[in-house]
Amino acid sequence: MALIKLNDLEIEVEDGTNVVEAARQNGIEVPHYCYHPGLTRPANCRMCLVEPHVFFPPAGAIVPDRQLATGCTTVLRTAPPERKLDGKYDFIVYTDSPRVKKAREDILEFLLVHHPLDCPVCDQAGECDLQDYSYRHGHDKSRYLEVKNVPPKKDLGPDVLLYSTRCVVCTRCIRFAEEVSGTGELGLINRGSHDEIDIPRSHEGTPIQLLDNKLAGNVVDICPVGALISKDFLFKSRPWFMEKANSVCSGCSVGCNITVEYKADGVYRLKPRFHEDVNQHWMCDDGRLGYHYVNSDDRLQLPMKRVDDELTPTHWADALSVIQEQLSEVEAENIVVIGSAQGTNEDNYVLQQFAHEVLQTTQLGLFGQLQGEEHKFPQFTIEADKNPNTAGARTILGSANGNVVLEGDALWEKVSGAKVVYLVSGAPERPLNEAEKAALESVDFLIVQDVLPSEVTQLADVVLPGTTFAEKDGTFTNSTGWVQRIRKTIDPPGEARVDWEITQQLAKQLDGEINYHFAGEIALAIAENVPGYADATHQNIGDAGIKLAGNDQ
Amino acid sequence: MVEERRILYEHLDVPDINTFDVFRQYDGYARFEKAIAEYQPDDIAKMVMDSGLKGRGGAGFSTGLKWSFVPKDIKPCYLCCNADESEPGTFSNRYVLEKNPHLLIEGILICCYAMGIETTYVYIRGEFTLGKKMLDAAIKEAYENGYLGKDIRGTGLNVDIYSHPGAGAYICGEETGLIESLEGKRGQPRNKPPFPAVEGVFSKPTVVQNVETLCNLPFIVGNGVEWYTQMGPTYADTRSDPPTPDPNTGTKLYCISGDVNEPGVYELDLGLTCSELIEVAGGLRGEEVKAVIPGGSSAPILTHYELDTRLDFTSLTLAKSMLGSGGIIVMNETRNIVDCLLNIMKFYAHESCGQCTPCRWGTPWVRDIVQRIADGNGRKDTITRPKFGVAENGRWGDTGETEEIYEDLDLLESVANNIANVDTMTWNTICVFGIAVSWPAVSYLRKFRPEFEAAIREGKLVTLPIAEATVPPEENYAYQQRFVPKEFADL
Repeated sequence: MALIKLNDLEIEVEDGTNVVEAARQNGIEVPHYCYHPGLTRPANCRMCLVEPHVFFPPAGAIVPDRQLATGCTTVLRTAPPERKLDGKYDFIVYTDSPRVKKAREDILEFLLVHHPLDCPVCDQAGECDLQDYSYRHGHDKSRYLEVKNVPPKKDLGPDVLLYSTRCVVCTRCIRFAEEVSGTGELGLINRGSHDEIDIPRSHEGTPIQLLDNKLAGNVVDICPVGALISKDFLFKSRPWFMEKANSVCSGCSVGCNITVEYKADGVYRLKPRFHEDVNQHWMCDDGRLGYHYVNSDDRLQLPMKRVDDELTPTHWADALSVIQEQLSEVEAENIVVIGSAQGTNEDNYVLQQFAHEVLQTTQLGLFGQLQGEEHKFPQFTIEADKNPNTAGARTILGSANGNVVLEGDALWEKVSGAKVVYLVSGAPERPLNEAEKAALESVDFLIVQDVLPSEVTQLADVVLPGTTFAEKDGTFTNSTGWVQRIRKTIDPPGEARVDWEITQQLAKQLDGEINYHFAGEIALAIAENVPGYADATHQNIGDAGIKLAGNDQ
Repeated sequence: MVEERRILYEHLDVPDINTFDVFRQYDGYARFEKAIAEYQPDDIAKMVMDSGLKGRGGAGFSTGLKWSFVPKDIKPCYLCCNADESEPGTFSNRYVLEKNPHLLIEGILICCYAMGIETTYVYIRGEFTLGKKMLDAAIKEAYENGYLGKDIRGTGLNVDIYSHPGAGAYICGEETGLIESLEGKRGQPRNKPPFPAVEGVFSKPTVVQNVETLCNLPFIVGNGVEWYTQMGPTYADTRSDPPTPDPNTGTKLYCISGDVNEPGVYELDLGLTCSELIEVAGGLRGEEVKAVIPGGSSAPILTHYELDTRLDFTSLTLAKSMLGSGGIIVMNETRNIVDCLLNIMKFYAHESCGQCTPCRWGTPWVRDIVQRIADGNGRKDTITRPKFGVAENGRWGDTGETEEIYEDLDLLESVANNIANVDTMTWNTICVFGIAVSWPAVSYLRKFRPEFEAAIREGKLVTLPIAEATVPPEENYAYQQRFVPKEFADL
């Protein structure tokens, strides 16, 4: 630890921390554009200038250093005893001296010289560093009388637009493409004040390579101004009109920490949230843009039952009584209950409790999205398992069952011999192969719980409308054993209900005694009954998640 | 009348001196052979230190001191020869490359021997096609004659030289910009520290030296330190007690251009005055000297009051200017300073690499302001501002008085100073390109303010008589550009 005098504060920081981070840890903002904790530091924006104080031998005193230093590249370390300042400090630095304030003002003036000041039509307004710092540190009027540069707007890739006029050339996006995604599609063209970010193009201007890697969306997040804009979010909403909730991406088993930004009428965008061990600062575009099904008009809103070979909307009481009727005539060994790797730990816990305690069957299976492709990047991996909770669902479904959970061929074999199957899907896009379809067709009575019409709902006798990750509370366990919270953002559409509530309602219909009131209560039961999950209560998990014991790799 | 003292250029005009055989006849490679025969590498480094040789590329940093920063235990270590001579008004390296490339190779060999370097990159300005052709031919000959390659002259010394053409950017003459460019990246300077001596080419310790500096080495080794230090003045730096010697030894290749009768490169002892130099270059073309740029276009300008200034590193620093690369441009009474500044600012606005904010957007802004004034579109509004100068305490600061100034001139000075402050000698930029922009901008404006004011007042470029155009030295505001920060002043 190094003892630092930061303005009037005396603080201790880890060796190797830079001034921007040390200040941030102590609630002091050092404005910056080019510095990003996940990328290298070119110190080119010059916004984070700070004033180090050094010992000046001729004067025998500590004085401000002649040059200001960039806070991002000024690394704090423990000094050897003979070089301590004032006998104890390892470093003395001021982030609020008149010189620093003047420098910030000057840099901001330069940054705004060619900026179009089109905040009223800019997507970034409200979450723009240029806007915020200008208010806090900048001049109130411009001294620039000359003609502004107007570089063209550019289409960089499937989801990214570049408004070059707003760009401050901090090169975060270029460094991201080089260091994190390793794809290197971005670079600077021209020189000096004509610097522009661009993708490789032919002489005619036709793109040779698009910014179309699976991490491309991150450049929009890290762009400190409104230069890089997501087409998906373009002109959809002002940032301040949206609510935010910390959650976890449901796109694959990495379990990227995200912020869901939403309004009453739906989810508007997902943004990655920092987690040191899981996803750092990033998320992939599959996850980022994978929320659209939540807002879909096709969402299942009412329970449905099969009447004359047609799925017909009905009401909950009717759907539940139809199921009760069927289940009461079937032996336990002819029932198969299938949980979902898309569902939360809580959903699956209630489901297995329902199976064991109410239906008294031990035939539990696991369903979910098919394996996809793994994508490895220098600093990020998108996993092949496209379910957010395979690990959690598997453990929890098997927790009272000797860890026997049917998967793959064994599951479909068991299904084909069953009379009643209760399948919780949550993976509406999952295709069925011929054998799987045949197995499900052979079932006498198929109950499917899903969020959208799918291949499995087409075969169902009763369809129950469930919920997506955005509409419920709960936890997911990722592939490396991190248990992390998802949070309810919007209400489920129509009559759709949270999955564990549906299961619990079904249990009550069958005179079972499952009675939870909220997801946190189920998590307590999981903590008590599922090995390894003893600490995984919602209170403990918080926003950072907790790592299960025995997952130390 | 001052005579030229030709050392580096002694045999420049000998026919075919660019060939190995002719070069050998004129002591070629004898100094290198002497070095490896008579001296240990550390001896050479000590000789260079004792000679007081200062880097000729622009900054005037002591070569021996620079070498001493190179860690001895990290290998490989590289030598980069900076032949990206692109400062306007400078053209001395070009002659060496085109006419006597073997001299450079010999200098490189001595440096490599002293520093234990096996690989040298010569980064040649892209426009020097002839220079590169000649150097490449010389390198080939040196390989053929066993002065380059493995086990040179049976000493076990291995040296390879690669010549690398630049692609036309001024900023690649900055040592870290050069290194980035050499590594195949966009030519943009690096943040310092780490300095190249510690982490340079391919993240290894690197000695970056100008062509002229390296060409001095054979003569220091061949003729000895004592001979070398006789040339040029050695001052005493009285800031320390006892005073430390501040050597400005050796000769300098002065590139004299502008309004002189015989422009060209002249090799002269350091420490001659401006007037003497103009005499050497055939005298002034025109009636009177209006101004002299002493060290390439980025150096602060000197007025006719300062023609006695000695053109060496120390004297020019004390005159708040710099010797830089030795590119001296003389202007006579017909020259308009606003127009000159516009010319220079156009160059810098074009050459800013655009990496860091103040320079990227400040440099073209400065150019635009000067352009506006030169076009006669300067705003006639004036503002009242505090007058700076030597304050009561005898130091540079706020004098307590105020002055009226055209708003555009205040803006010009302010924007230039925001890129790099010439008064405090601090810059907000990554490299010293910032100061290379604001130095001319601010010094031209302060020293020739009447001409700028006339351009605004008349709405067109007006060339005033020299006496009217120049601010006299009594107006210390214009001449005393570097002030000690208040925090220091009280100590």
